[in-house]
Parts: sequence; C-alpha cells; structure tokens
Amino acid sequence: MLTKKGKYGLKALVHLAQLPAGQLAFVNDIATGNNIPKKFLDAILGELRNAGFVQSRKGKEGGYRLARPADEIKVGHVVRVLDGPLAPIPCASRTQYQRCEDCNEATCQVRHLMLEVRQAIAEVLDQRSLAEMRDIAIDDLPVAKGIDDLPVKVQA
Amino acid sequence: MTGRANSIIIVGGGASGVVMAAHLLKSPNPDLRVTLIEKRPHFGQGIAYSTLLSAHVLNVSAAGMSAYADDPGNFWRWLLERGLAAPDQAPVYAPRSLYARYLKELLDELETRERETGRLRLIREESLSITPTTSGVEVALANGTSVVAHLAVLATGHDEEPAQGHAIRMGSEADTALPSDSRVMVLGTGLSMVDAFLSLEQRGHRGDIIAVSRRGLLPSPHRKGNPIKLDVADIPLGTQLSYFVGWFRDLIKENQKAGIDWRDVVDGLRPFNQKIWQNWPASAKRRFVEHTKAWWDIHRHRMAPEVYARVTEAVQSGRIRLVAGRVVDIARDGDLTVEVQSRHTQRLETFEVARIYDCAGIVRDISTSSNSVVRSLVDRGLARPDPLRIGLDVSANCEILASDGTVSAKILAVGPLTRGTFFEIDAIPDIRVQCARLSKRLLG
Repeated sequence: MLTKKGKYGLKALVHLAQLPAGQLAFVNDIATGNNIPKKFLDAILGELRNAGFVQSRKGKEGGYRLARPADEIKVGHVVRVLDGPLAPIPCASRTQYQRCEDCNEATCQVRHLMLEVRQAIAEVLDQRSLAEMRDIAIDDLPVAKGIDDLPVKVQA
Repeated sequence: MTGRANSIIIVGGGASGVVMAAHLLKSPNPDLRVTLIEKRPHFGQGIAYSTLLSAHVLNVSAAGMSAYADDPGNFWRWLLERGLAAPDQAPVYAPRSLYARYLKELLDELETRERETGRLRLIREESLSITPTTSGVEVALANGTSVVAHLAVLATGHDEEPAQGHAIRMGSEADTALPSDSRVMVLGTGLSMVDAFLSLEQRGHRGDIIAVSRRGLLPSPHRKGNPIKLDVADIPLGTQLSYFVGWFRDLIKENQKAGIDWRDVVDGLRPFNQKIWQNWPASAKRRFVEHTKAWWDIHRHRMAPEVYARVTEAVQSGRIRLVAGRVVDIARDGDLTVEVQSRHTQRLETFEVARIYDCAGIVRDISTSSNSVVRSLVDRGLARPDPLRIGLDVSANCEILASDGTVSAKILAVGPLTRGTFFEIDAIPDIRVQCARLSKRLLG
C-alpha cells in the first residue's frame, strides 16, 4: 500500500516536474504548496536524492530540482525507493516478506489474489512517468469522476 | 507489417542466426521464407562454437543451453539420447564443439523437414550490405549476386576485430608455433584468457603466462544451487547506480546470513537484468560499464568448476601471474618488452615476452566494426551506435534505429549486436528468449 511517505514524495516530485527545467524549488514552498510537514519532506527529499531522482543545492539560492527529465522517471521507481517493494499486503512480497500470524500462506486465497494484484500494481506504476502524472488534468481522472457520479449512500 | 512479412533474411548463420531461424520456422505459415546467410563454411558455429579443443567447454551448464525458449531441456535430452550425459549427473559443461554439433544437427533436421515446403534456404556466402527497397530489403553478397526479402534480421554476433598493436588473436594466422618454455602475455584476465590458457596447455606450452587487466580479476566457478526467487515488484528500478548496488549488496548479505550462496542471488536477478538495464538513466549505464561491470562479470559469468580448478592451480604454482594494471608501452626488439603500470602502486614493471595475446574482450566502437554489413549500415546513416557505442541502437522490439532516430520497419537485429538495449544478450539462454519474442511479433 502507498504510505504517506510515498504519497508526499510523489507530490513533491510532481511539484518539481512543473517547474521549468533546471529551476530549483525551496523545500518550504514544496511543503506549504502540498500540505506536507517540512521535517518529513526533508527526510523524503534526502532519500530521493540518494536514489538519484533529485539534486539539491545548498545555501541561500539553494533548493531541489529533478535530476532527470520528468518523462524518464517512472512512478514505480519512486514508490519502490520510498515504500520498499510494491506489495498490497506484507505477505505478498518476496524480499520484504512478513508472515501473517493468523493464516497459512500456502493455502491463503487472499494472499494468492494479492500476488496477482502486486503484478498489476507494478505494471501500472512502471508504465507511468512523473511527466504523465503531472499532466493528468483533474477532470480526466476516471476514478475521481466515477466517485463523483456515484449515488450518495447514507451509511447505516 | 505483421502478417505480410513472409520472407525474412537472417544475416549471420552462427548460433544466434540458427536459433532465430529455428524459432521462425516454428510458425505454421506455409508462405514463410527464411534465408540464412553465413560466410563461414559451417553453420551454427560463429566464433563462439568453432573451437575444436575439448577443454573449451561451455560456460553455462547443459541444462541451460537449449536452442528453444519454450523447451529448455532440448540440449540436455540431445546429450542423453546420444549417451553423452547420464540422467543423474552433476551439472555438465559440454565441450563447445559438441554444442556446434547440436546446432548443426538441429539445422540439418529443419532443412530436411522444410525441403518440400521450400521455407528454408541456406546460403554460404559473405554478406556485404543491406539496402531497404520500396517493398523490403536487398542483401548484396560477396559473389556479386543479391537476395531480396521483406525483412532482414542481423545476427552477426561478436565482432571479429583484428587485434590491435603488437597483440595477436589466439588461433589466428599470426599465432605460429612458440618454444614451449617461452613466456607470453595475455591481455585480459576473464573467460577468454582462460580459453587461451587451455589452448596453450593443449599445445604443450609450459612457459609463464602474464595476464594483465585493469583489475586483474579472475571469474568465479559455478556451483550447483537454486537461484532465489525475486519479483519485479521487489527490485529498485530507475535509480542511480550506487543506490542499486547498495540494495543488491544488502540482498546478498541477508541471503548469506540465511546460508544461501551468493551465486543463487546473482542468478535470481537474471530474469530482471534487461529490465534493470533498460530502466537505468544513461549516467547509471555509463558508470556501470566503467566501474561495476568488471566486478559483475566475474560473479555473473562463471566457469565450469573443473576449469576453475586448473586455472587456480596454475595461478598458485606461479605459472599464471595475474597483474592488475595498464600496459603503457610495448617495444619490439626480437622479443617484446612490455611496460605495465600497477593499478595499486602506480609502479612500472617491465616484462620480456615472446608474444602478446589479445583476450581483452573489450567491445570497441561498433562504427569501426570489421563486419561490412554493420559498418555500411552505420556509414549510410541507416543504423547508429547506441549511446555507449557497445552495439547498434535498437528499439525494445529489436528494430534498428537510423542516425536520426527513425525506427526501421525492415531491418532488425538480435544477439550481441543489441547489447546497448538488451544488456546481457551474449549467451544462448538470453538470445533464445529474444528470438522467440521477435518471431512471435513478426509472425504471430
């Protein structure tokens, strides 16, 4: 599942992808513009720098920018760095596998289906680049539309 | 294009050309026409499998050497049927000459099967150039004739570049008899150096062998194991090289703690190597080739345990000396005087040797290729080197890219020529998968 860290990281990168090539952004501006706690953002940007997605410059004129063109960085690349292996549930990962205390993984149908979901997640996230994510107009979001069109149900 | 491209010329009838032809001919299409062109007298050998020396064994065990992507046990069964291997045997590293025989028999069978259909045609001639025409391609041959088809697939394999400077290629005309106790130098410490050592042994050579490479690293031996299972969801893609290397080192350490051999981790990554390579930024690819590849190669491209035992014995006895350094000067005065600068101490050391063998295996600039078809494509702007200049620039679908980046619909490439895009595409287990995918795309 995408954690807050993953979500904030992607938002920050989209922020950077919107700037003219080479222009730096202040951490403060990214934080306030996207409702991200500044300290958390510092840590996230540090990890993104280690992985080679952003570059930073120190000092008064300092800040962050993308290290590569936004169409070269895939969303899946970023999520793996911030959240670890793509997996909808901890037992559906090979390297970060965590056994569920309460079930037998060999016969667990839920896990079996989630392995398929893992493939689907990788396929979607590895196809889409930051540039594509940046260029998604809110109106074009099929999911958002779908939600809007749903009849409002009052929960019991 | 699909469904209409019935006639296909394969330029190069070495291992990758034969594997490509075999996959194309799996198609039931009665109108298919496959023409395989090879300049050597024998099909299926290329440079890789032309050695007759029985000590020159495959660097991949027989279980991994099938020519068919959908029938991985094909070569193993071929060995069993002929009594050349036993069912319960430890991994078998068959002589390369035997593998050439396997490919020859495979092609003979296809030829017999297709005799009445006329779907396969073999031409023993050198190809000079490929030219796109309005309806397809025309391949000009050295005998002055030409053949036409809808498509051409380049399968020219490893470049047979002449050795440079004072160094010569083992087995070439310049490789004349030497006094058996003469000292020789080998440029390179990898698998080609090992081949050279085995050839020298076979000839009764007993002199010292000075093997020089930048790092002086010897490839590791194979050991029977089970590759770990990884998933693409686990592997960091598209990061900077250092990040990836850190992740991979940690993965090896964790597995070693659980008692798993590093080979099983290296081999577990294999199904994803092309994907990892293709997702790396250009800077990571360049850094990998410059700094990491030498380390990767000695762990990934290993040798048969028996061969490793012979080589390490020779190293321990002082017969082979591995030198990490750089040749800075070669002077000829009867013998050759070679000055080598040590990588670690920067000190110069001088060696008097009777001969220098070029086993560096370095991929030189593809645009200066000794293969006339490749060179003429680059010269006319119909093809271009990949950004690292280790092969031709091709799309993920094996189509070659022209100098302006246009994707060719008519000229494709498979095998080592495509390493800029496919990374590890020198060995049969990878080439057969590439050929299977391309055949499926072309013929459905």
